[in-house]
Amino acid sequence: MTTTIAPSTAMTPASPEPAAELAPRKRRFKRPPIGYAFAVVFLVTLTLMAFLADYLPFIPYPDAKILGPDGKVGRYDWGPSWTAWFGTDGVSNDVFSKTIYGARTSLQVGVFATVLGIVVGGALGVIAGYFRGMVDRVVMIITDCLLALPALLLAIILVNRLDDYRLDTAWLGWLSRKWQIVLTLGILAIAPLARIVRAQTLSLREREFVLAARSIGAKPGRVMLREILPNLIPVILTVAFTGLSILIAAEGALAFLGLGVEVGTPTWGKLIDENRNKIDESWWATIFPCMMLFLTVLSFNLIGERLSRRFDIRQAGV
Amino acid sequence: MSTQIQATSRDIDGPLLELKDVTTHFKTERGLVRAVDGVSFTLERGKALGIVGESGSGKTILSRSIMGLLPPRGTIRGGSIKFEGREIGNLDRKAMRSVWGKEMAMIFQDPMTSLNPVMKIGKQIAEPLQIHLGMTKQNAWATAERLMQDVRIPEAKRRLEQYPHEMSGGMRQRVMIAIALACGPTALFADEPTTALDVTVQAQILDLLGEQRKDRNMSLVLVTHDLGVVAGHTDEIAVMYGGKLVEKASTRGLFANMKMPYTEALLLSIPKLEDRSHTRLNAIAGRPPDLVNPPKGCRFSPRCPYAVDKCRDEEPPLIATAEDPNHLYACWYPVGSEAYHEAKVRIAASKDAMSAVAVAGGN
Amino acid sequence: MRYFLQKLSQFAIVFFIVTFGVMVLMRLGLNAPGDPARTLLGGTADQELIASTTAKYRLDSNYFTQYFFWLKGMVTGDMGFSVPNSLPVAQLIKGRVMTTVLLGVYAIVWGIIIAVPFAVRQAYKRDSAFDKIGSGLSFAFVSAPAIVLAPILTLILIKENTITLWWPLNDYQVTFGGWFPRIGNKVYPWQDLGEHFRNFFVPTLVLTLPIAAVFSRLLRGDMVQTLQADFVTLASAKGVSPRRVLWVHALRNSLFSLLTSVGLQIGGIVGGAIVAETFFDLDGMGTMLVVAILSKDLFTVQSAAAILVASVVVVNLTVDLLYAVLDPRIRHARALA
Repeated sequence: MTTTIAPSTAMTPASPEPAAELAPRKRRFKRPPIGYAFAVVFLVTLTLMAFLADYLPFIPYPDAKILGPDGKVGRYDWGPSWTAWFGTDGVSNDVFSKTIYGARTSLQVGVFATVLGIVVGGALGVIAGYFRGMVDRVVMIITDCLLALPALLLAIILVNRLDDYRLDTAWLGWLSRKWQIVLTLGILAIAPLARIVRAQTLSLREREFVLAARSIGAKPGRVMLREILPNLIPVILTVAFTGLSILIAAEGALAFLGLGVEVGTPTWGKLIDENRNKIDESWWATIFPCMMLFLTVLSFNLIGERLSRRFDIRQAGV
Repeated sequence: MSTQIQATSRDIDGPLLELKDVTTHFKTERGLVRAVDGVSFTLERGKALGIVGESGSGKTILSRSIMGLLPPRGTIRGGSIKFEGREIGNLDRKAMRSVWGKEMAMIFQDPMTSLNPVMKIGKQIAEPLQIHLGMTKQNAWATAERLMQDVRIPEAKRRLEQYPHEMSGGMRQRVMIAIALACGPTALFADEPTTALDVTVQAQILDLLGEQRKDRNMSLVLVTHDLGVVAGHTDEIAVMYGGKLVEKASTRGLFANMKMPYTEALLLSIPKLEDRSHTRLNAIAGRPPDLVNPPKGCRFSPRCPYAVDKCRDEEPPLIATAEDPNHLYACWYPVGSEAYHEAKVRIAASKDAMSAVAVAGGN
Repeated sequence: MRYFLQKLSQFAIVFFIVTFGVMVLMRLGLNAPGDPARTLLGGTADQELIASTTAKYRLDSNYFTQYFFWLKGMVTGDMGFSVPNSLPVAQLIKGRVMTTVLLGVYAIVWGIIIAVPFAVRQAYKRDSAFDKIGSGLSFAFVSAPAIVLAPILTLILIKENTITLWWPLNDYQVTFGGWFPRIGNKVYPWQDLGEHFRNFFVPTLVLTLPIAAVFSRLLRGDMVQTLQADFVTLASAKGVSPRRVLWVHALRNSLFSLLTSVGLQIGGIVGGAIVAETFFDLDGMGTMLVVAILSKDLFTVQSAAAILVASVVVVNLTVDLLYAVLDPRIRHARALA
């Protein structure tokens, strides 16, 4: 659908700055930028807290009723305090705890979906880029089709339908709501990944080392695995982080629209949906999960950005 | 148009362009790059000066520095640049704008990237006319057509409506010249104007430049790495190395009596017609100096075949030759001197020894 | 021309595959005779109605036949009937489509209006404080999906806030917010411009800010590259003013990534619109689609999806056309193709 040429690069071959010609830049170790450092610290802390939440004393269970300063349960408009850092929500649960447990869901779903997208999309991209011709055309039509429908819409349809099939189909019993979402988001990630990997493969397959391997009669599978795949790792890694941020946001949107994981498991999107009509009385129950989602997306983007600079990859419209 | 040009060119005696100790340094992560380091020369009205050097010698930076075209951030300029008796070395871009295009113009190296790809040729030529001379669009386009004819572009009227990608490299370079000539500048800087062109086109472009210079009594600064280019088209030649002026003389004087081993090396590096085919090119060994930490003494000494200890310790001053006060050079043991001959003998001997070893090894 | 026919046929293939795919996806599993009609009509329909509906839309035939008759209906303006809404689908969509179109157009137009001046100035003053702050802001907004922005903007702009400041402005109270209604009212600009603005401002902002951020990042990147090009230096050397260099010479050469991304953003805008419409209760195509999917309103889903895919196609074709307008070289290449 969007096989557009990118004339901007063809037209403006960046003329070297006058100084660059005289003083070849040396790569030196530099302090990592503050944004990147923040992103890593934030994500590591969040992940640790999310998966160790059951054992951490300062994180109550998400369904535990929190007593307010007046010693009573059942009022939700207790703002952030030392007992409940992010305040409590409408059912007297600790928002901080729910946010942390929500991170568990979001991170899991995001990572599994990204892995799925990388495996399928990456394979499609490599195959399309390597064999070209008919194979390429078929793969491109598939990605065009996947991209033609707005992603969130496709996700809603898929999750909704997968849920129905599960009820009708005996062997799909394992496909719980969480895995349905993973599957759906993974499918969404296929098309952009396939496109990027294909573009990279197209240029890689003409490089000397690949030509050399092919000229000595290496089989396509071997060339793809041994020669091309290792060179795709930087791109895939970079896109993976950017993709993670997009998928986590998408998971939030799905949950917000009522297509979240099982009832009882808190997620950010669900928290936002549940409390959004009470912003006047208890803003914290909505805004803190929002900020957490934002910071997570931001952090993954920051890491993706850093990697793309490091590997010098230009991501056009992922 | 001619009346307007005369109004702008002031009748002041003295040289058109006078450089005194011009320096241009860049701040980079690695340190201060001394791209141009104390260059002085004068350029008379209507004369052509060639600035010659390898890439990295500072010749391009010097020409852009004179025009004030370098990005202001990270650039430190020093010394004095007088243009028509007026100090322009310290003017900012805003103040230079009335000079650019009108009194000084520049032709860039690569005609493929130097024209705006999405703008009609006519508009690109007419633009400075409208800005500087206040012409109406119609007048400007008419003048543009005349300029196109001046630079020998056939079917000028039709070509005005074309875009750069519809023209060949040579044609585009002619368009560049037309743009540069548009407002009748008194000084034209041509930065490697022929490097990107085919050999046959090169000569045409150089002839065109020379012709236009004479017709318009314009000064020309021809920046190139190729001594062959400047030989027939300039009155004077300045050789630059490592950001410094190392030799300057009239074109005739320089070729007759070359003083710097570097100039000699540049000349030797041009392949000659009478050479047998497959003769090895005489490239200058080594790399241009690091301008953050330039070598001690003579900057060419690490690559100079005739260098002795004195060259590596003390920097030679720029002095005039005994015969010609206008022939300047900076070398302790210039071409033709005694030390030079000694070194030559020494090198020949070692070469023989080397080949002898090679022959012995071959047996 | 041939180029566009080629593109058009490519888009047509995608259109047919996607709409057919959506249809099959919506009906998979509804295998028993009468199932699709029963789903369509809800639980309480009697046997006769089911039979007549099945016959009318050929719901008992294979998918291809059904697709053909649905497509035939689309062409003649009969998009089927939406039982949950008790309305013909065409009429249902007609009542909703304007909200979403307005949101989308506002998002793109305002995105460009905000992004271009910022990006141009950022590129011109590269690495300055302005550039750094601008880049930081745009990076933050790229990472702020609709679901994040909607509550935060609600907190800031819609909720009435009173904040008591502390030292040194002891007990000084600041009041802000409460400027816009919590629940959007579908007031169209031709009805009451002021009310329209009040109701659409926050949802539009939710969609616009991330898009403006994407645009400005792309444009800044391209612009920085263009500003290093020789022809820009030449333009300066001609004595052209910096303003003209930026806006006439450099900008037009830097618009291509931005333009490409407009085509790619449509999907994201629809996604954002779904969230924003749900959040602010502005019932447009987005909310309609979500409800339709959840209630298995087959014809509504199919028809709305077809319209969305078609609009993606139209936008991408327009983008392609604009390429040629902006760049004579592309015009040239296409004329030869």
